Amino acid sequence: MDEPLHTLSAAELGRRLAAGPLTSRALCEALIVRYHAVNKKVGAFTHLDEGDVLAQADASDVRRKAGQGRGPLEGVPVAIKDNIAVKGQPLTCSSQMLASLVSPYDAHVSDRLRAAGAILYGRLNMDEFAMGSSTENSAIQKTFNPWDLACIPGGSSGGSAAALAAGLVPLALGSDTGGSIRQPASHCGVVGLKPTYGLISRFGLVAFASSLDQIGPMARSVEDCELLLCALASADARDMTCFAAADRALTPAGDAKKLRIGIPKGFLGKGVGVEVAAAVTAAIEFYRSQGCAISEVELPSADLAVPTYYVVATAEASSNLGRYDGVRYGHRSATAGTPVEMMTTSRSEGFGAEVKRRILLGTFVLSAGYADAYYMRALRARSKIRAEYLAALATVDVLLTPTVPTPAFKVGEKAADPLQLYLEDIFTIPANLAGLPAISLPCGKSGHLPVGFHLVGAPLSEAKLLAAGRLFEAAHGFAHQQAAL
Amino acid sequence: MAEGFDIDHLAKLARLNLTAEEKVLYSSQLNQILGHFQALAKADLPATIDLARVVSESALRSDEPGPVLGAETVTRLAPASRDGQISVPRVVDDEA
Repeated sequence: MDEPLHTLSAAELGRRLAAGPLTSRALCEALIVRYHAVNKKVGAFTHLDEGDVLAQADASDVRRKAGQGRGPLEGVPVAIKDNIAVKGQPLTCSSQMLASLVSPYDAHVSDRLRAAGAILYGRLNMDEFAMGSSTENSAIQKTFNPWDLACIPGGSSGGSAAALAAGLVPLALGSDTGGSIRQPASHCGVVGLKPTYGLISRFGLVAFASSLDQIGPMARSVEDCELLLCALASADARDMTCFAAADRALTPAGDAKKLRIGIPKGFLGKGVGVEVAAAVTAAIEFYRSQGCAISEVELPSADLAVPTYYVVATAEASSNLGRYDGVRYGHRSATAGTPVEMMTTSRSEGFGAEVKRRILLGTFVLSAGYADAYYMRALRARSKIRAEYLAALATVDVLLTPTVPTPAFKVGEKAADPLQLYLEDIFTIPANLAGLPAISLPCGKSGHLPVGFHLVGAPLSEAKLLAAGRLFEAAHGFAHQQAAL
Repeated sequence: MAEGFDIDHLAKLARLNLTAEEKVLYSSQLNQILGHFQALAKADLPATIDLARVVSESALRSDEPGPVLGAETVTRLAPASRDGQISVPRVVDDEA
């Protein structure tokens, strides 16, 4: 009973809160002390409203005392990426464009967390509008990898992953458009799951690329990740892409030791670091030793995934970010003249370099004379990639690859080379293009930096991914690892 | 390589003002990225687009009024407002 509270899992905290004498106030006060000791070094949180947190904790303690606890997350803090709306809290997307925006409403996932009794705990740093793989594109602050403060935590949900690895919070929400949950989870040694497209409502998620965006759970253990997923996933008519109640039954997990695991041909070769390949190969051998059937599968169009993604995602982003015009909310330039000058100047002042780069790229691939050559061809390539993944997943239960080819790099190392940064997402992007669920799990270290492996499953196979994760976790015990700070 | 790439035209379409340095930088970076996209031009792709949803789409909900934010909240969020309305620079000239 003597372990510091910040080292415990969400499941364990939930059990101790239910059993007493631990209170949510005592837990939140301990985490606030941790926040003051550690957050400046790591830069994970951009905002923490301590008064609001303690008021929520007190309300939770009252509920539990009255026998009205709402389940395993009652009184447990969940930190939230700053592109997901929480009423009364900042919603900046780590952008100057929304620097002063306070959300007037709750996202569906925020509603769900409140209904589960969880404490909505602070705002987490991210790449501006979720565009990036290192969290260096935040207009607010840099976030550093808790395992090596000279390195990036990954992105765009870098604040979420770093907060977990630093013991700042037991659970966090991220969003994933091309790997933004799984890549930082891999770099920070935590668990991150991108659900099937449509499983979790995006109502209240600031849109980046709507055919790809998903909200998902991040945690230090598979059990915690599953707890959070269960709390978040429900039908919501406010997001027309969210599955209706009748369509959302998950495929049963089955026996994880009987999983058929496909290894895509060539995915452990070109561009993959030696220590990353070794750690992922060890994970494959672990599953083989447990009785899983390992086979090689062909995904011949895998090389098209990165260009396809960056055409589709930037096209959608250029359209979605058209709404930031300085009129209804967000930054308005003080030098506004005509309405068009006001819009143009407001956007030029409010957006950072990567966001401008992607808007320009997306505008180009949709522009007259080029849309057929880029955007329409990308949609055809996306169809092909999706068909190949679904065909492969008809013969195996999951596909296993590294999450990221190499471990976290130094802050600033790739800042001047956007294409190199885009290639960080090479293994994670196909799941978004095909709408498939995928999870990143820690499987070792490269030097002192965490390495993750990646499982992709058929639509609605989250239970299988989590069962595979639990099997691995039980043997490797990563759930209790935390960076020393 | 993308032929006819015109950074000034793109910036105008995207409603962005770019400095001379930004134009040089973005032109170079976008050309490099578009060069990487050429893999799409060479690929053997299906003639049709099939992005069918993985689960049956039950998309349409009934058209009923739902909760709204209200004028006070909306104008509080706006960069400038007057008399309960969002204000913007003059849109129509006096002579028009």
